[in-house]
Amino acid sequence: MHGLPGAVDEGQRRRRVRRSAILFALVAAAFYVGFIVMMVERGSK
Amino acid sequence: MAEHQAHAAAHDDHDHKPHGWRRWVFATNHKDIGTMYLVFAGTMFFIGGAMAMVIRLELFKPGLQFVDPQFFNSMTTMHALIMIFGAVMPAWTGLANWMIPMQVGAPDMALPRLNNFSFWILPFAFTLLISSLFVPGGAPAGGWTMYPPLVLQTGASFPMLIFAIHMMGASSILGAINVVVTIMNMRAPGMTLLRMPLFVWTWLITAYLLIAVMPVLAGAVTMLLTDHFFGTTFFTAAGGGDPVMFQHIFWFFGHPEVYILILPAFGIVSEIIPTFSRKPLFGYEAMVYAVASIAFLSFIVWAHHMFTVGMPLAAQLFFMLSTMLIAIPTGVKVFNWTATMWRGSLSFEPPMLFALAFLFLFTIGGFSGLMLAMVPADYQYQDTYFVVAHFHYVLVPGAIFAIMAGVYYWLPKWTGKMYDMTLAKWHFWLSTIFVNVLFFPQHFLGLAGMPRRIPDYAVQFTDWNMVSSIGAFGFGLSQLLFPYLIIKCIRAGQPIGARAWEGAHGLEWELPSPPPYHSWTTPPSAAVIARGAAH
Repeated sequence: MHGLPGAVDEGQRRRRVRRSAILFALVAAAFYVGFIVMMVERGSK
Repeated sequence: MAEHQAHAAAHDDHDHKPHGWRRWVFATNHKDIGTMYLVFAGTMFFIGGAMAMVIRLELFKPGLQFVDPQFFNSMTTMHALIMIFGAVMPAWTGLANWMIPMQVGAPDMALPRLNNFSFWILPFAFTLLISSLFVPGGAPAGGWTMYPPLVLQTGASFPMLIFAIHMMGASSILGAINVVVTIMNMRAPGMTLLRMPLFVWTWLITAYLLIAVMPVLAGAVTMLLTDHFFGTTFFTAAGGGDPVMFQHIFWFFGHPEVYILILPAFGIVSEIIPTFSRKPLFGYEAMVYAVASIAFLSFIVWAHHMFTVGMPLAAQLFFMLSTMLIAIPTGVKVFNWTATMWRGSLSFEPPMLFALAFLFLFTIGGFSGLMLAMVPADYQYQDTYFVVAHFHYVLVPGAIFAIMAGVYYWLPKWTGKMYDMTLAKWHFWLSTIFVNVLFFPQHFLGLAGMPRRIPDYAVQFTDWNMVSSIGAFGFGLSQLLFPYLIIKCIRAGQPIGARAWEGAHGLEWELPSPPPYHSWTTPPSAAVIARGAAH
């Protein structure tokens, strides 16, 4: 794929893939933890 | 570069596929994983369907005939869980795996090993869930919505249910991450966002929904688990908890979940109707914005599932009106599909027949949804068979017909062979007739006041229940044609060229049929992309 006009650098793409996968995993984890924390907070009032 | 080309030439199409069981257990190829998802979904469809047959058999006549009420409730609960999480969602993921890399000009999914992992979680999750039928106390019977305090009375199968839900959720989240990352990073140069096929667009938005709401379900069931085993009282009123709060959290997941099940169907229908109308899709950009609007609105309508729990008038009005708003982008889509067909050169091959049935019958499900959105009316319809009729119209001739349309559309591409068209038309007509015999009378039953989730009913409901059950048996039997037809196609179908349908556009049709093991090892040229993206 290297060298084709408009082609993306493979190393850069790998980094982008890894970065965005981690970002979305963190978003999912935040929703999971966030709702439990919200309920704990609500219960402690 | 030269070394790369020499390597590619020496290995034909980079066909390093392992053979035997290793090919499937250690699969990292998007097509193999897509096939596994589809086979798994088909298996679950028949297991969940068998449970539906038990339900309709019991409801054929008033009185208790074959099963005890506890087992009946287990059947309704398990049927829903298996059909939603085991059949429809994996079928969409299977289609996404097969088609997204081919449609965006990528050689594979961005995260192939994660792809393998997200598939192989599912057989364990569903083995666990289905094996709960054999533990003391039987399978979960409190409904797929798992409302406390009822669900907390589940016997030994309770932790199995919770763990299975966690696994299904993890699988879906990982699959969704893979889809988003693939679409955002692996598109061929020149494949801009607004050149992507509608199926890719709808899946991108679906994947965002999955990432946002599946963890919410996981959080809710984790709290159920701690309420049951660790003495917390999140949802136990006696300890200061709030059972209604569970309903809010569940439906914050549950309503977007409905769109997770249906948005990819919009994508498939948007591929099929232009192909068999021999016209570009009417209003491509409007379709994209309509899907995005539906996805956004899906987050702010959840309480329409629970009007009768009692909530402030302002909240009722907000959720009623926001729900009704969804009719606008949905109407845009129905209008655009119809406008695509307007003065088109139509032909009625099986994918188009299923897409047209989707258009009519999903719209019926949409209209009954609009009726349910109205608070005063909902007080009458709540927990009746009208609701059952509504969501089955959305999910069976909606989501499942669209999956079948997609399989009939792309099966020649996957196998390189054309299936038995006559048999596929038989499958279509039998399915369409029986699905209406099955579900339409349930509107009447609901309006007459028959409650859902009961194994017995008052005698005045007998006639329409008999009709509905006959429809169910007919629909169930006619589905046996589907796997038979696919197997027959794989074994003895007529070989077909790259473009199975003359009106088809899209990068997948630029590849040979069947496509090489790795689809686009060299990205498609700008000309090929332009030809494929002729919306």
